[in-house]
Amino acid sequence: MWLTSKIKQVLLVLKPGVVTLKYPFVPRPVPDTFRGAPYWDHTKCVGCGGCANHCPARTIMVRDICQEIRVMMYDGSRCTYCGRCADVCPENAITMTNKYELATDDKYDITETMELFMLTCQRCGRCYEMETKNAIDRMDLRGYRYDNIEARTVIRKTTDQFEPKVFQETAQFKRPEKL
Amino acid sequence: MNTIESVTQTLKSKFGDAVKATETPTGNRLVVDIDGAKVKDVSKEIMSLGARYMVSIGYDNISRDNTLGLIHTYAFDKEQFALMLRMSAPADNPVLDSITPDTPNAGWSEREYQDLLGFKFQGHPKPKKLVTADDWPDGIYPLRKDVPHNLVPPAAEDVAYQLDEAPPGTTTIPIGPFHSSLHEPNHWALYVDGETIKGCDYRGFMTHRGIEKLCQTQLSYNEIPFVAERICGICGSVHACCYAQAVEAATGLVIPKRAEFIRTIMLEIERLHSHLLWLGVAGHLIGFDTVFMQAWRVREQIMWFCEKLTGNRKTYGMIIIGGVRRDITPEIRSELETICKNLEKEITTIHKAVAGDTAIHKRTKGVGYISKEDTIKWSLVGPVARARGVDIDARKDHPYASYGEVKFDVPVVDSCDVWATVLVRILEMYEAIKIIRQCLQKMPEGPILLEVPEALPAFKHMVMMVEAPRGEATHYVITGEENRPERWRVRAPTYPNLQGVPSMLMDNQFADFPIILGSIDPCFSCTDRVAVVDVRTGRKSLVGKRELEELSRKYKK
Amino acid sequence: MDIVYSFINVLVFILCAPLYDGIMRKITARVQSRQGPPVVQPYYDILKLLGKNTVNSADNWSFKLAPVAAFASIIAVVFLVPFAFKQNFASRYADIITVVYLLTLGGVSVLLGALSSKNTFAMIGASREMVTMIMVEPVLAMTLILGAVKFKSLALQSTMYSVTSFGYSASIIAMMVVYLLALQAFVGKQPFDISEAEIEILEGPFIEYSGPNLALFKFYMMMKQMFYAFLFIAVFIPFAETGYYIVDIVIQLAEMLGVFILIALIGSTNPRLRIDQAVKYYAVLIFISICAVGLSVKGF
Repeated sequence: MWLTSKIKQVLLVLKPGVVTLKYPFVPRPVPDTFRGAPYWDHTKCVGCGGCANHCPARTIMVRDICQEIRVMMYDGSRCTYCGRCADVCPENAITMTNKYELATDDKYDITETMELFMLTCQRCGRCYEMETKNAIDRMDLRGYRYDNIEARTVIRKTTDQFEPKVFQETAQFKRPEKL
Repeated sequence: MNTIESVTQTLKSKFGDAVKATETPTGNRLVVDIDGAKVKDVSKEIMSLGARYMVSIGYDNISRDNTLGLIHTYAFDKEQFALMLRMSAPADNPVLDSITPDTPNAGWSEREYQDLLGFKFQGHPKPKKLVTADDWPDGIYPLRKDVPHNLVPPAAEDVAYQLDEAPPGTTTIPIGPFHSSLHEPNHWALYVDGETIKGCDYRGFMTHRGIEKLCQTQLSYNEIPFVAERICGICGSVHACCYAQAVEAATGLVIPKRAEFIRTIMLEIERLHSHLLWLGVAGHLIGFDTVFMQAWRVREQIMWFCEKLTGNRKTYGMIIIGGVRRDITPEIRSELETICKNLEKEITTIHKAVAGDTAIHKRTKGVGYISKEDTIKWSLVGPVARARGVDIDARKDHPYASYGEVKFDVPVVDSCDVWATVLVRILEMYEAIKIIRQCLQKMPEGPILLEVPEALPAFKHMVMMVEAPRGEATHYVITGEENRPERWRVRAPTYPNLQGVPSMLMDNQFADFPIILGSIDPCFSCTDRVAVVDVRTGRKSLVGKRELEELSRKYKK
Repeated sequence: MDIVYSFINVLVFILCAPLYDGIMRKITARVQSRQGPPVVQPYYDILKLLGKNTVNSADNWSFKLAPVAAFASIIAVVFLVPFAFKQNFASRYADIITVVYLLTLGGVSVLLGALSSKNTFAMIGASREMVTMIMVEPVLAMTLILGAVKFKSLALQSTMYSVTSFGYSASIIAMMVVYLLALQAFVGKQPFDISEAEIEILEGPFIEYSGPNLALFKFYMMMKQMFYAFLFIAVFIPFAETGYYIVDIVIQLAEMLGVFILIALIGSTNPRLRIDQAVKYYAVLIFISICAVGLSVKGF
């Protein structure tokens, strides 16, 4: 009984053979639908900031550094590759590539920055303003908070050396308000 | 036979003025507002009607009426509805009676709100710290709205969790926080006499990621499904689906039929690969690594299929509020059919090999016994309960997605031991394949995603149950104003099941500890989801952490 | 000059033990549909461990002594066995009692190391190891005594290769079955790797060991496995004696390979037993082996 079941088991497992992939030596292709590292097509991007709005991990930051230039930064070190940005992009400027070997010791390898030239409004000239009061805040989702990349600095500080003063500071930490 | 009306009537007639109001938000949910002082009696009455306790939800209502809210939820499985028992307590003195003496499974929920909201429960048999870290300062209740989500209080160095006293004549074996039979950090102190387990104490919640707090304060409705998926590495779709369904039900959204079918398929795919994964892990836990490797080999084709369908092996990101993100194309469909065929063959092979292996029987039969009565008393769920002859399955009892439209059986075995859980899980895989096939056949054409309106109605309560591979996952959502839930409570299936483990361990051999704990398919990260920021377990790890931080800072520059 | 054979024994065992371990790993991997590590992986493991720092987690001399004692005892065993049918310098002065004694010494050293490390898991491992030792040592002793009864002598060469002169008898066949059934317990593989059970007690006795000390223990385990494989072929299938020393070595090594394949196959298709289940199993084995010796006394 015991012996026959064992012999049967050995015979069973012979059938599939070796299934381990020789992965690092032989690359494994991924399907076309794979959600790898996102790729930004700067020629298509209109700088609407929809991706930043919908990113669950808050990896995309949008900054207007002057009237005409908007900087969009993607921090791949915390990206979860959900592909939500590619879904919501109205211009299809974002595609999920099939790149997945993204391990690096320098996080700037997977950080992408785009500087977009934004046209001044012909009518009023004031559509785009500096920093927190810019258009993205007006068009974004209700309840959206866009500060988390910056808030990290405050968290770090309190973790390191805690004092009641810092506690207060953290508690009263004011995020950039919406309009 | 209870109905929503009869239960309302019973409660009203028995407790009169203590029942303040009742409400039926949907056809199969009943909300009962009661006077907090009577909670113990009302709960006892509900339990005596044959209900199963699910979970409690505490929420902060201070800004509105200066109270803290607490909701106990109960499921009437045969009658297919759920009851939410809602009460409140003044914020400056939030004292309520504990219902734990009557419903032991409420123990953790109550301890959780003791830690997180500052509730006090009179008559709780073990009012120890449960969720927050040992050095978490008193008087800061992280789930209250005035505590920022990124608060990090000072670390203390001279605190440690006081384990229960060991029974006389036993020695303590520490299992964890890191141990090869646990897979995730948590601590068990086993009190053994020789090799026989005579008792245990559990200190878990070491991997809090503050998910609930984060989602309640930072994220928007449609970002939460992605976080919900990351509550658990295995049953991601379950949590995303449960959350999405709760929000949809609370706000009255009706999603397209096709989306419901695709959700069902995703959930069943997840059940398939989760059970295969569990079977492998169970093999590994009894030292049978060949089962482990072979089960995972079979599982691999599902993973590759998922990669094709959703774009990722795990954390599919398929389910959002209003439907699903990707459609099942004809090619994908035919591939899924092929895979179902292959799997059925492979699973039959594995089933035969496992069922005919006397060595496996030796390690699993009669191990981890817990009687049917105790299972009901402890409100255990999922395969753990079904292996003890308790016929509960949220798919049948509280149909969601398209489970109402497909035919399937719920395998129930009543040998009450680990072997029964193995059997139940294997049999469930056949059912999963059956469901996938029916779904593919019955799936109507049409849209897969509903445009979600800009503003969803606020302060709607909804509890939603989804049968995860491990058991029943329960999500409670209170919708909020700022495009995010006011309160979102997750109860993973491990949460109730883990509370039943001490009774299963009693008088078993120490060598059986891994497989008994493994038999509930524990997922500690699911269980640990709530609370705030991070946890420090002791002095040593703290030093290590600081050093690590210094090192990482050095290398960053 | 036959002391040379002793040194050749030690050399062959030291060189081949990790190889057999590697082959076992490879076979296990094949059963599990895996690629598996290269067969020379155990050599790499040993070399790597030897190059590491030692962490003395227990501050006493017995903790440091134990791995050395274990390794030394198994080397001593190998030094005196008549490998490849060649009587050597040492085996003339040793008898089966010496072999059993030295093998037990190795086991006791493991216990010593485990107990002096004062780790809870090591303690459990040690207690399990102790039970295993008490229960399987008689089987080993009976195996050797069987030959001694036939020859009416305790000398190593004659008792070990008793089958060559007396042929198979009922008692030898019974003992062979018992030895095969106890083989996994001798070499500490599934289903009897109870004392090391990595899932519940994390390698048990060896949990506190690291670096060169662990390497010595690992080497000890591999050599022990190889010795038990050798003992099986020497006692039960001592055929194909050609008279040419080198050829005999090669034949015996090849036969051992067969034993190792068997060990690997059994090991990879069985779950670990619990200690209470194992004890019952061992008790049956001891009973049968005593019966076999009784039979041989009666001349069967």
